[in-house]
Amino acid sequence: MEPRKVDPATVNVWRCEAVVTVVALSSSAVLVALVRLPGPILGAMVLAASIAIVVAWVLPSAQYQALDYEVDEAGISIRSGILWRSQIRLPRVRIQHTDVSQGPLQRRFGVATLKLYTAGSRYTRIDLPGLAHDEALALRDALIARTGAGSGV
Amino acid sequence: MSNLDGDTQRRLHPLSWVFVLAAFAKQFLVPLAAIVFFGARDDGSLWGLLFVIPLLVAAIWRQMAFRYAFEADSLLIRDGWLFRNVRRIDYRRIENIDTERGLLHQLFDVAEVRIESSTGGKAEGRMRVLSLEAVQELRERIFDERSRTAPAAEPATQAKVDEPQVLLHLTPGELLRYGLIDNRGLVLVVAFVGLLLQANLIDWARNDLIAVNESIAALGTGMLVALAIAPVAVLLVVTRLLSIGWAVVTLYDFTLTRQASDLRVSYGLLTRVALTLRLPRIQSVRQTQTLLHRWFDRVALTVDSAGDGVNSEQQDGRQAAPRLRWLAPICTPDTAAEIIRMALPMTDATADPDWRPLAPGARGRIFRKTLLATAAILGAPAAALLSWGSVPTVLSSLLLPLLVPLAWWRAVTYTRNARWALTRDVLMFRSGWLTRHLHIVPRNRVQAVKIRVSPLDRRQRMGTLIVDTAGAGATSGPVRIPYLESDTVARLAQALYRLEGDEFPISSPAPR
Repeated sequence: MEPRKVDPATVNVWRCEAVVTVVALSSSAVLVALVRLPGPILGAMVLAASIAIVVAWVLPSAQYQALDYEVDEAGISIRSGILWRSQIRLPRVRIQHTDVSQGPLQRRFGVATLKLYTAGSRYTRIDLPGLAHDEALALRDALIARTGAGSGV
Repeated sequence: MSNLDGDTQRRLHPLSWVFVLAAFAKQFLVPLAAIVFFGARDDGSLWGLLFVIPLLVAAIWRQMAFRYAFEADSLLIRDGWLFRNVRRIDYRRIENIDTERGLLHQLFDVAEVRIESSTGGKAEGRMRVLSLEAVQELRERIFDERSRTAPAAEPATQAKVDEPQVLLHLTPGELLRYGLIDNRGLVLVVAFVGLLLQANLIDWARNDLIAVNESIAALGTGMLVALAIAPVAVLLVVTRLLSIGWAVVTLYDFTLTRQASDLRVSYGLLTRVALTLRLPRIQSVRQTQTLLHRWFDRVALTVDSAGDGVNSEQQDGRQAAPRLRWLAPICTPDTAAEIIRMALPMTDATADPDWRPLAPGARGRIFRKTLLATAAILGAPAAALLSWGSVPTVLSSLLLPLLVPLAWWRAVTYTRNARWALTRDVLMFRSGWLTRHLHIVPRNRVQAVKIRVSPLDRRQRMGTLIVDTAGAGATSGPVRIPYLESDTVARLAQALYRLEGDEFPISSPAPR
């Protein structure tokens, strides 16, 4: 099977989250600076904040580009990461249980995160964010459908 | 629930309350005694005792209400005092039955029992205390039921005779070596110093020392050097002696036996510990060899079992202490190989595995990384020394060039020693520079496989492979093989993810 992308709508979710975080952090810093600090430092902080907002806008689409997943008869593999790239492969017999979760923003954009739990020690939970909600449910059903009766350990 | 009411139900040993009391004494009285004895705080901490009494009554009551029973395929445990809790544990899910017997337990012929299932973390069942016959019955019931309900699990080993076979027994000589290598004594010395600090004993010692100092000033240089070296030497000897004592007490009469498809471990002089390891549930085996081990030609072997979780410490704060599951605290490499064969019956012992090296660029990268890391750590102090004057300048200009060959030596030794192999059934990884590790993971125990590629890795077309198993982390985490060629790492991940299959030179092309 070919690697598949997640729902592009998730880029908007990540953007909103990142921009809100940056704005919340930088505005409080700038407020403090307005009262206490001289002009040049204030200017530098405003500049840094605007750069951060641009990054917050651009980064999610890069993240989206880097994220894909592939399901085959043995299990699922997920690739992610922009600079530090990783690929995690999880055999379907090792899936102990699954969650499909949605935050408020995710609900607004109709996406969900599929969480796969294993009995491992380092990677006890493997997340696949940004799936369309229906797709997340379908993927979950597809992954656990053929899981045997083994204990997964 | 009828099994818990009729004649089939079992209770704890009638003397259980003694052990509840003993545990309480340990928890509350010892710190209290310390407070009273050392007089660190005397603002009415004794009133705390009043809160202990209701807790104690509740705990004893709970022990009295404790029941367990054997069902056809599961163990029933009823626990609780006001809130009753009935737990049913499938025999097949029970990983370990561990017992612990302190001096008091040995006096009354009883044992404290922990039953662990594959959930990990907290022990599923805890029985304080059972008579030895009851423990024997528990073991037999659970293990018999299991072999009946899971007939296909271990056909090869079931067929063999059921009489126990001793795989390893540590003689006092071996324990002595273990103590020398382990150096646990340092911990005891540190604890002792901590106690001294707590008790303000340092104060008078310091006063005395100042007086001594003044007389020292009159001595010559040679005497001063001797005076500086003597305490270090004494400390070294004392810590080693303590380590040996510690080893003898905790690991006395260490015996590893094999019985049907289980490995049994028992050890301890004052507190006897007995552990059961089910062969089919062994997740991985690790062999460690420190520099000292190599001088004595010995190794240490531990296993990860599915019952031991990462969180055991946090979840069961009282007596969690995730026990290191020793197969052998110390043994010769040959014995280790034999035990590994026994612990992982699927490994093909006859054929030497096809050991493969790391990527060719690995040596250079380790060299540069070591050099940069040490330079970063030593840089600031070195710069500070340089501004001090001529003697430190000469010293550091002598030391810095030494770093280069040292880093090179590390890189060369590491890459020469680091080898991995993938056979039909196991993944093996040998690593380490001064301390050597060998990590063996059966392929059908792999939980998840991860490839990580850093920007540096990408430039040199390399990657790190991380293989996660259950029960790792109690000792040292999952297997991590760094500096593999990206093509190799992709194939390896693909092969491991299938959980079974061919040896390494995989004929199919690398995925993606």
